[in-house]
Amino acid sequence: MAHVPVVPIGKDREAVLDRATFDRQREGHGPLVDKLEAGRAEVRHGWGDKYVDRVHDKNKLTTRERLEQLKDPGSQLFEVGTFVNHGVDFGGLRSPAAGVVTAFAQVEGRWCVVIANDNTVASGAWWPQTPEKIERAQEMARRLRLPTLYLVDCSGLYLPEQSKSFAGAKGAGHIFKMNSLLSAEGVPQIAGVFGDCIAGGGYMPIISDRVYMTEQAYMVIAGAALIKGAKSQHITSLDIGGPEVHVHQSGCADVRVPDDETLLRCLRQEVARLPTSGAAFYRGGVESMEPAHSPAELPGLIPVDHRQAYDAEEVVARLCDQSLFWEVLPDIGREMICGVGRVGGLYAGFVLNRQGLIDDPEAPSEQRPAGILYRQGIAKISTFSRACNSDGIPLVWLQDISGFDIGAEAERHGLLAYGSNLIYTNSTNETPMFTVLLRKASGAGYYAMAGLPYDPVVQLSTPISRLSVMEGRTLAIATYNSKLDDDFEIVTQDPKERAKLERKMAEVEARIDADMDPYVAAQQLDTDEIVRLDELRDWIRALVEMSYQGVGYRRVKNPRIWSLHDLDVLVGGGPA
Amino acid sequence: MLGCAPVTRFRRLFIANRGEVAARIARTCDALGITPVFGVSDADQTAPYLRDREFVVLGASRASESYLARERVVQAAVQTRCSVLHPGWGFLSEDPLFAALCEAHGISFIGPPASVMQKLGRKTPAKKAMARAGLKLIPGSDGVLDGPGEAESILERVGLPVLLKAESGGGGRGMRVVRESDELREAYDSARAEAQACFADDRLYLEKLIEGGRHIEIQLLADKYGNVVHLGERDCSVQRKHQKLIEESPALVLSDEEREQTFAAAVAATQAIGYVGAGTMEFLLDDGGELRFMEMNARLQVEHPVTEMRTGIDLVEAQIRVAGGEPLWFSQGDITLRGHAIECRINAEDPNNAFAPSPGVIERWQVDAAEGVRVDTHVEDGYEVPPHYDSLVCKVIAWGDDRNDACDRLTAALRGLRCEGIHTTVPMHLAVLDSPDFRNNRYDTRAVPGWSS
Repeated sequence: MAHVPVVPIGKDREAVLDRATFDRQREGHGPLVDKLEAGRAEVRHGWGDKYVDRVHDKNKLTTRERLEQLKDPGSQLFEVGTFVNHGVDFGGLRSPAAGVVTAFAQVEGRWCVVIANDNTVASGAWWPQTPEKIERAQEMARRLRLPTLYLVDCSGLYLPEQSKSFAGAKGAGHIFKMNSLLSAEGVPQIAGVFGDCIAGGGYMPIISDRVYMTEQAYMVIAGAALIKGAKSQHITSLDIGGPEVHVHQSGCADVRVPDDETLLRCLRQEVARLPTSGAAFYRGGVESMEPAHSPAELPGLIPVDHRQAYDAEEVVARLCDQSLFWEVLPDIGREMICGVGRVGGLYAGFVLNRQGLIDDPEAPSEQRPAGILYRQGIAKISTFSRACNSDGIPLVWLQDISGFDIGAEAERHGLLAYGSNLIYTNSTNETPMFTVLLRKASGAGYYAMAGLPYDPVVQLSTPISRLSVMEGRTLAIATYNSKLDDDFEIVTQDPKERAKLERKMAEVEARIDADMDPYVAAQQLDTDEIVRLDELRDWIRALVEMSYQGVGYRRVKNPRIWSLHDLDVLVGGGPA
Repeated sequence: MLGCAPVTRFRRLFIANRGEVAARIARTCDALGITPVFGVSDADQTAPYLRDREFVVLGASRASESYLARERVVQAAVQTRCSVLHPGWGFLSEDPLFAALCEAHGISFIGPPASVMQKLGRKTPAKKAMARAGLKLIPGSDGVLDGPGEAESILERVGLPVLLKAESGGGGRGMRVVRESDELREAYDSARAEAQACFADDRLYLEKLIEGGRHIEIQLLADKYGNVVHLGERDCSVQRKHQKLIEESPALVLSDEEREQTFAAAVAATQAIGYVGAGTMEFLLDDGGELRFMEMNARLQVEHPVTEMRTGIDLVEAQIRVAGGEPLWFSQGDITLRGHAIECRINAEDPNNAFAPSPGVIERWQVDAAEGVRVDTHVEDGYEVPPHYDSLVCKVIAWGDDRNDACDRLTAALRGLRCEGIHTTVPMHLAVLDSPDFRNNRYDTRAVPGWSS
């Protein structure tokens, strides 16, 4: 069967939830969305207007103005790592976005990874975690073979904190290793040097295939201040490493241009010379179409409270084109939904957790909670994951999972082994995988569903994500287990003792809850970006399109020869 | 005729429609040697047009369980081994989800690509594309409004009255007429709230409300390779509550200059949006004699025979061939628009009783197709008009050298029509055809000339 037998899924909002419930649930997201937008605005503001003015006074554009001119008019920028270092204090200073903007941007219709030092934050210096953030963006580019553009304007390491970003395996120097790997794997890199480019900043552009410099740019191993100290020479940094030197004498740069605007235009021209995207070809004449059920409804459909269930089919209905979806192996491992739909006209695989109660295949006529991995579900997602890998279908994991089933039966079933098989599958997959922590991402469930340790190309959190080994309440119970009865109630009747125990349990719970905050994960690079639920479809559409941009570097099977069809025939008998 | 073309290779065509529509499509299938398979509801199982035909029952009489049940229709087409599906008009004919579902399951859908259909269903993207191709629009906002302030400034520019419309709207919901400036703010807020509630999309746009005017449309035909022709215009201004009653071609109220200019722009716009198949652009002819684009219907129209009578082209045949991948086998220069054609839609309604539906058994039915007269119907003696659907029982189309000639022939044909057992709208049509206002082209879409109820 060569057709991908998609069918309409999902229901109109009115048929899913009554208006009042929907509105109440949506409003529950309100404060969290406000917090996200406020955080984004704060990061975008950098060090503030004073520093924007300073940049403008030099007749330069700010980094965000450069990005605006670089990308295709009207296209959306997809920023990653917005909240790295968010709220972290460095001797009284902050480093919004870790001083570097990393983003997916469309330039001349091609998706690119853009890495741009923020010249409104300490002149684009590298803070602790800035190298890791840059390397993460380079890794995304490497995995998807996306042209990588560096907008360099970097005064070097922020030296007071140098010990945190210099020597380690992911220290600043690893950026140049990533430059090298990108080069080795044939990913085009283009650098525009807009200003200071000192020490590490000086090395960053050099490996790029094309290097442009403005008349205000210079690249030096050591700047004027250091030369003065070391050699007692009084010369400007521009004299040491400006375009006069590097374009004409050293050959370290290719082209000199008068100003920022011209350089950005040149970068766009360079990208236009690269191959066009394969996406239009892989769409096979089908265009992107909006879901039949609006993605804007997602916040109203997914309750903030992680203990409340919802219909996961309604979620995938709001992500796929026209809400058309082919659920693969629908009758087994019911706790999981696996299937294929088009997003932006291109096929993508989806794995997500059903919520609420499902029939228990081990005990007919009984039910058990979904949102947990049982034996069949693990085997199903492992098989599906491998089939998508074999077929070259980008895979989107949407996590809302409490973890693996536990207990005597689970061990007897060998969940450790089935789970390890799944881990092996995901670890050795080559097809691009993207992970979304829709709500709960707990314990081994986070690992099983391709959490960040399993190298998804991008991992997104939402304002309601809860990433943890276990819930705070569970840990509190485990910690004070010996003092609780079978219903987890405190045994002692001594009022003082009870109050103390209650306080301690509450403390444990509160501490874990605070750590589950998506901003903690985003701040320490444990997740790539926090996005609103109603932005998910646009993100996934962009990521899937990027997955099909490069031609020839990875296997993309046409749907006729998908192994998914074999699965369908073997398990379900195939279409009539 | 227009040269000899290779015969399309489709063997079996699924007709996802009923009544006169289904009968019309089947007639062309017969001519092309394609076996039509009918998907029908319970209520239509015994309809005369199914006699000696292959058909499958889709479901209950209610359209939602039969003619509108997307998955059932696709499944029926697959199971009856059809390779192509004609949706007719109405029902699922402009449903992009249905079109995509057909294609996903290996059934060629007769119509434009689903994405083009979806774009045409949205208000502002379609209009922008049309404006870029040179069509004039009804004055109003350039796309969706960014707030009530913009609405006010546009109102200032275009003048009262204006219409606020929901970007994702339909069926009059999320729509407000504004006749006084101070009503704008309130209308804006209430339209927005209604649009949000109905369509989960609160975006609005604004346009000048043009009352009356004439409804003119242009028939277009495109193949899969970017070849586009127009097949002339139709004037559909005899309307009752936005329902067309009489359609004719050419539209004599239109100046030659405006006609030619709009033809050219319409062809260019059709090309630009990647349209495929037969489609119709609807325009409003304003006081100044200018045609202003309203929408493009991504399907064949009820009134297509008017165009067929003038061009000699079978539009259903053209649709099927285009769906089969044939390039258009004629160019614009090969098309001649001959004489004048006029059609009336005869409904099972009582025009003397506020057009109340009049379902029931037609005991006696007779209509003669004299020279220059065509009758499209699925009705015969003993046919029962079911209460579930559109009440159209018949279309009578007449051709003549000029308008008066065509009208006279149509009048004669209607006078000879016999329909006993139910009421029909024939008396109204005769009154219209006889009225000086109609004969002298002095009417607009607000009132039926020669009929006052």
